[in-house]
Amino acid sequence: MAILEARDVTRRYETGSETVDALAGVDFSIDAGEFVSIMGPSGSGKSTLLNMLGLLDNPTEGTVLLDGEDVTTFTDKRRTTARKNTIGFIFQAFYLIPTLTARENVEVPRLLERDPETPERAAELLGRVGLGERVDHRPDELSGGQKQRVAIARSLINEPRVLLADEPTGNLDRETGRKILEEFQRIRDEGVAIVTVTHDPLLNEYVDRTVQVEDGKIKAVLDDPSEADGLR
Amino acid sequence: MGFADRIYRRFPTVLMARRNLTRTTLRSVLAALGIVIGVVAIASLGIMGATLQSGVLGSLGGIGNEVVVSPAANAGVESLNDRDVREIRRAATGSVTPIRSGQGLVTYGRQQSAAQIYGMDNPGEAYDAAEGRIPNPLRSGALVGSALAERLEISPGNSITVRGETYRVAGVVASQGGFSPVSPNSAVILPSNRVPGEGWNQVVISAETGQAANESAVAVREALNDREERVSVFELASITDQIGQVFGLLNTFLLAVGSISLVVAGVSILNVMLMSTIERRGEIGVLRAVGYQKRDVLKVLLAEAGLLGALGGIVGVVFSLIVGLVVAQVMLDDPLAVLEPGTAMYLPLAFLFGIVTSMVAGLYPAWKAANERPVDALRNS
Repeated sequence: MAILEARDVTRRYETGSETVDALAGVDFSIDAGEFVSIMGPSGSGKSTLLNMLGLLDNPTEGTVLLDGEDVTTFTDKRRTTARKNTIGFIFQAFYLIPTLTARENVEVPRLLERDPETPERAAELLGRVGLGERVDHRPDELSGGQKQRVAIARSLINEPRVLLADEPTGNLDRETGRKILEEFQRIRDEGVAIVTVTHDPLLNEYVDRTVQVEDGKIKAVLDDPSEADGLR
Repeated sequence: MGFADRIYRRFPTVLMARRNLTRTTLRSVLAALGIVIGVVAIASLGIMGATLQSGVLGSLGGIGNEVVVSPAANAGVESLNDRDVREIRRAATGSVTPIRSGQGLVTYGRQQSAAQIYGMDNPGEAYDAAEGRIPNPLRSGALVGSALAERLEISPGNSITVRGETYRVAGVVASQGGFSPVSPNSAVILPSNRVPGEGWNQVVISAETGQAANESAVAVREALNDREERVSVFELASITDQIGQVFGLLNTFLLAVGSISLVVAGVSILNVMLMSTIERRGEIGVLRAVGYQKRDVLKVLLAEAGLLGALGGIVGVVFSLIVGLVVAQVMLDDPLAVLEPGTAMYLPLAFLFGIVTSMVAGLYPAWKAANERPVDALRNS
């Protein structure tokens, strides 16, 4: 069974008299251990789809299923709990808290738990993404790639089964981007499902599947995207 | 792990709040400064009011502790007899001094003055000596009130003539504050058998406290006026109570004035918190995305407001204490008077007001940030 599934999802925005379908009847699903990218031009609805999958937004029509359960009927509280237990987020702008050290930033999702093992686990995750030496540095003392790796460590602290990444390589140079994507592959190999939204054709070399979105609809699904650079 | 770290582990919201405040240190300090001013305004106005009150009540002296029992003139009683005095002694707590009063001419050397004359046998129970001594019981000789002694330049050991009889002055009675119907300041005190008349015109009861005086007054009324009205009882405790009430009103007014500055401080905290939550919209969106409930975001932001309030409150209390010490020194010549509970209570009170103001001011920005949909916060920041 798919971990996350979107069935016939439509997201409609009303601005004044205009009605825009950011998503119009999209079906999408992802299994454990799959690495999928969603590609498309700006405004195609790919970020909206990611928000649906991340339980951050509710569809106007259609359903989103997490482990087969319809989450569109969840209360805010229950949805928040589901996000916490299942989903890790990585953002293009990193969104690290500038006054907290790398380790504290990684701890943030679990900070309110008062779990005495969290600091150790945060340091371990930072070691894993190659920042073992920089646990006590503040974000302004880290490079863009290092910040993104802190963000990856943060997304893993709750042991998610799904990782959602919005333009994870968007602010990084090519070399750093490759390192991040290799890290994603290792995470995928542990059985975590990864969905990224991206413009970056580099991802095609790493993902198992690419979903192309245009005008709120799925235009194509490529099962071997590394050979389809031109379709982007 | 240091002490601070342990605190933060225990209260992680405080860690986040503190770090967030240091992000814009100057802004946080200025916001806290508003609270400092508000707390100082409330605490020092409160302390000044309380100090003024104790200064005024202090200068009224112990008049609240005094009860004067007189014959009930409207019931036709002209004087009190020894039986009345015995009953008063039984009913009252504190010293009881019966007085027979009259008027007369006092002569010392070539100077003369008309004066009130009090006949009493145990003046030492009611009064202290300013010069010489006050024999107790008073069998011979005379005591002179301080104002009269000054006017006629009388000292202990002098001989004075009262109503044509000569007495040796044993002592000068210390000046009495207040406005008791029996005031020895301009009077001469003689042994009671040297003052003509039957019975007693007044009985003065001196109690330890205003409350004891009040209880004595009630007891005397009950004991002597039970069957028929025999005495009228004059007590000043009720007047000092009223003075206290007036000062209570004055203090409430001062506190209300001080609260205005705290309200202004609250508005500035509201502004700072609103700005900082708007600036941190994306971060707050991330917190919500990674599983912070609305209530958790609310807690973090309220902890920030609370910290601002606590910081401002602590500094404000320190300043107010200094102001209070100076005020007490100037008004009462005793800086430590500020530590008396009735005065010092304005310090914790103002501190509490400071924190509550900050939290209330932080409530709206925190609520607003907590209730924004994470998807909106992440998209628009």
